[in-house]
Amino acid sequence: MLPAHGDLWGASVTDPMIEVRGLWKVYGHRAERIVGSPEADLPRNELEARTGCVVAMREVDLDVAQGEVFVVMGLSGSGKSTLVRCLTRLIEPTAGTVRIGGVDVTKADDQQLLDVRRHKVSMVFQHFGLLPHRSLVDNVAFGLELQGADKGQRRELAANTLELVGLRGMGSYKPHQLSGGQQQRVGLARALATNPDILLFDEPFSALDPLIRREMQDEVIRLRSEVRKTMVFITHDLSEALRLGDRIAIMRDGRFVQVGTPAEVVMNPADDYVRNFVRDVPRSHVVPVDAIMDPLGDGPFGGDISGDTKVRDVVGRVATTELPLRVIDGAGTPIGSIDRMGVLSVIANEDL
Amino acid sequence: MALATASGPSNATAPTFGVAGTRRWILPVATFGLLAIIAIAVNPNVPSWMDIGLQKWVRDRYMWTVQNSNSSWIFTGVFNPLSDAINWLVESVQWILRTLRWPGVLALFAAIGWMTAGMRAAVSGGLAMAGIAVLDVWEPAMVTLSIMVTAVGIALVIGIPVGIWTSRSDRAERIVRGFLDTAQVMPAFVYLIPVTIFFGIKYPPAVIATVIYAVPPAVRLTSLGLRSVPTVMNEVGESFGCTSWQQLLKVQLPMARKTILLGLNQVIMMAFGIVVIASLLGADDLGNLVLKGLQKNDVGAAFVPGLGIVLLAVALDRISTGERSTSTRPPLIKLPTVERRTGTLIALGSVVVAAAVAKLADITAIPDALAVDISGTINDAVGWVQDNLRKGVPIIGGTQAINDFLVTDVLEPLRKFLVWLPWLLVVVVVAGIAYLSKGWRLAVGCSICLLLIGTMGDIPGGADGRTHLWDLSMDTLSQVLVAIVISVAIALPLGVWAGRSDRAQQVMRPFLDTAQVMPQFVYLIPVLFLFGVGRGAGVVASVIYAIPPCIRLTGLGLREVPYTPREAAISFGATKRQELVKVQLPLAFRSIMLGINQTILMVLATVIIAALVGAGALGLVAYEGFTKPIQKIGQSAAAGLSIVFLAIVLDRITQAWGTSPEQQRRS
Repeated sequence: MLPAHGDLWGASVTDPMIEVRGLWKVYGHRAERIVGSPEADLPRNELEARTGCVVAMREVDLDVAQGEVFVVMGLSGSGKSTLVRCLTRLIEPTAGTVRIGGVDVTKADDQQLLDVRRHKVSMVFQHFGLLPHRSLVDNVAFGLELQGADKGQRRELAANTLELVGLRGMGSYKPHQLSGGQQQRVGLARALATNPDILLFDEPFSALDPLIRREMQDEVIRLRSEVRKTMVFITHDLSEALRLGDRIAIMRDGRFVQVGTPAEVVMNPADDYVRNFVRDVPRSHVVPVDAIMDPLGDGPFGGDISGDTKVRDVVGRVATTELPLRVIDGAGTPIGSIDRMGVLSVIANEDL
Repeated sequence: MALATASGPSNATAPTFGVAGTRRWILPVATFGLLAIIAIAVNPNVPSWMDIGLQKWVRDRYMWTVQNSNSSWIFTGVFNPLSDAINWLVESVQWILRTLRWPGVLALFAAIGWMTAGMRAAVSGGLAMAGIAVLDVWEPAMVTLSIMVTAVGIALVIGIPVGIWTSRSDRAERIVRGFLDTAQVMPAFVYLIPVTIFFGIKYPPAVIATVIYAVPPAVRLTSLGLRSVPTVMNEVGESFGCTSWQQLLKVQLPMARKTILLGLNQVIMMAFGIVVIASLLGADDLGNLVLKGLQKNDVGAAFVPGLGIVLLAVALDRISTGERSTSTRPPLIKLPTVERRTGTLIALGSVVVAAAVAKLADITAIPDALAVDISGTINDAVGWVQDNLRKGVPIIGGTQAINDFLVTDVLEPLRKFLVWLPWLLVVVVVAGIAYLSKGWRLAVGCSICLLLIGTMGDIPGGADGRTHLWDLSMDTLSQVLVAIVISVAIALPLGVWAGRSDRAQQVMRPFLDTAQVMPQFVYLIPVLFLFGVGRGAGVVASVIYAIPPCIRLTGLGLREVPYTPREAAISFGATKRQELVKVQLPLAFRSIMLGINQTILMVLATVIIAALVGAGALGLVAYEGFTKPIQKIGQSAAAGLSIVFLAIVLDRITQAWGTSPEQQRRS
């Protein structure tokens, strides 16, 4: 009993914050002619040999809802960094449209584009991109400075934002005095300081140690609950994607192979490529109970449990009672039940 | 705040903001203030007791060498045999070049170019040499070439082993680097004075001076190449049981080959620049012909050998550029590829054939029918320029007007002001600048250098019958400062442009590349052409010479700014201008400062040469030592040393601007 399989191309959200249609990026001479042509489907080497062009991203459709965390996952060269850069035209897309908060970015003139970049969208970079000659406060205040905010105001705001990411009182340090994790906190603070609607993350934690990485992921989860920003998060790390994403897009050779919730991707991989990826993921870590519950019976029940609880988190509960648990949705309405056998069957099948 | 438990700063040295912010300034301000008051209160001119008698000492040494050059052991046992050996080497090279005759030499250049860099280099190298033949300056060009070949050979024989040594020992590196740094800052002329004393005139001093200049790049690039061999490759060698020698011969040298070859090109071009200058010592080469033309103010006579220098520089550069060029340019003609050995045989064979044909046909000089005499045309052009460009050009007024403006409204007031200032006040002000730039140590060092200029004594001439070298130094300083300001004002915007626009970079690159390999001498000719003789012309010559490295380093610095911070700036909505001002320029700051530092060194290097077009001051005094050594060698040495002291002060202060505060704290 899975929820309806989300639209494969990710265009399923009403009133989206980010709306992408038919987005292409082709590198090379006269790249436009490749878009939508039969040649675009040639293997990479052959296309390059024949036309001198390389397709980095093809035919991407994507909707991200207000407050959603959308993760794009793919290996290097899959086009995920290209995608996130095309959203604010750091890389100029070859074809297609991008609308952000209702503004058509792809048709925007210079001033409109600057406005989007300055007020609506901020980005966090893999290699931080901090300015080494500036103190932390002035790094964080950079976006505000570009907007033309006066010095006192932007410094105060920047100092507050530094505090938000746990770097209180370190505003006068220079970036090189910080560890990698701390530097990325500054990168995060810089992105938050302009109070944008949307945060873009380009593999922000891949340069960090595993422990620090986890810490930073927690930070993002915390931010999501506290500030409810719309986020697009690029990563090559599946566990990171599953941990952070409301929805995940798996990208390969410049296109989306599958888009869905973590549970959907793990339970119903769209093809062998995705299956290979998710093979080692413990199902119980990503599958919520409402995805495997039985129809609501008459009871009696050993207690209530929220439908979005992950299966592994109910193991303790079902172990202490013979009775099934009643599953309720966000509004508290009972929608089904789950018992010890249901939980164990998920865990037992994990290694398939 | 969750996760607000971030660990403390990884580096415990927190900046000391506001800590005793004002108190920190009290001591320096008080010190320099007090010193300034003292400086104003005491004698505004350099007191005569400060003269340490250097001029007389040098003159006496020189006279002694002249009188004892055939009796003292130091000459009969060391310098004279060395001179003889160098003479023999130079003459041997000349004999080979003569035996090959011009067709053979032409073929040799083409063959070397073909073997090292392919067809394109062969053609351009051969064509440039043919140009020299056609201009009818073949004989002097061969003299220049023979001095250079000898000097480069000696420089490599010294430089490569020293480079290997310094690459293997950090201590050797430290010791040698001190020497190399000093050698590089000194204007070439400064070497010439002691070298003349010990080695007389003509070839030997020219070769020695050139060697001194060409050894540093040879050492540096050999060492750099060997040190840049990845550690893992050395480990591979060791783990398979290489001895130290095997390691060097089989792993390190082959892997460092590219860098070392690039070094060879630099060594050759460095050497070439000095060989041309060394003509002042009386070798009958191209530089000497230029010099004679300049002395007679005969642009036509200077132009032809000047063009010869340019052609020879181009030929040498092309055939020694090596693999650097082949990868970036498409081949000119697709030749059937031959094995390396066969290729070498073909190339050498063609040289032998060309030489043999030349001998059989008895070709010694270029046939008169082919030779072109362009000096007349040049002189006509000079006449036209004098009539049309020097005056009466709309808006800018013509080159003469620029010259006059420079001299009467800029240089002369500045010179008068600097000379008028109490001399100790100048020392205190410079020390203050040095303190602000880096700290007490630099302030003390700069003061000592300037005070030493005060010990150089005075020379005949000037309004009062005697002029102190301090006043001449202020004259030179005024010219140098003006030249630096003009150079930077022109070069920085061009550099920024080249750094941001690929098109601009493409347009400028050939000019910059050519300018880089041209000896300073060559720049005097067009300057003389347009501006005539005088201090204005001297400044213009310095500016032309100094601009290219500044453009190049500024452009390079901007281009080397990592893309991530720029992209971050763009993503936050930076305009092009904001990206430049807030990201690129600050991050390229050190590189730009290095460019300015180079500009200053270049300007100082032209001080003596600028004297040849009438810049006067220290340069003229230093130069006269070569023309009338017996009377003027003492004051020439004193002037040369004064130039060095000025150079050290300006170099060190601007170098400090280029190092970041973090580095300063560490050092």
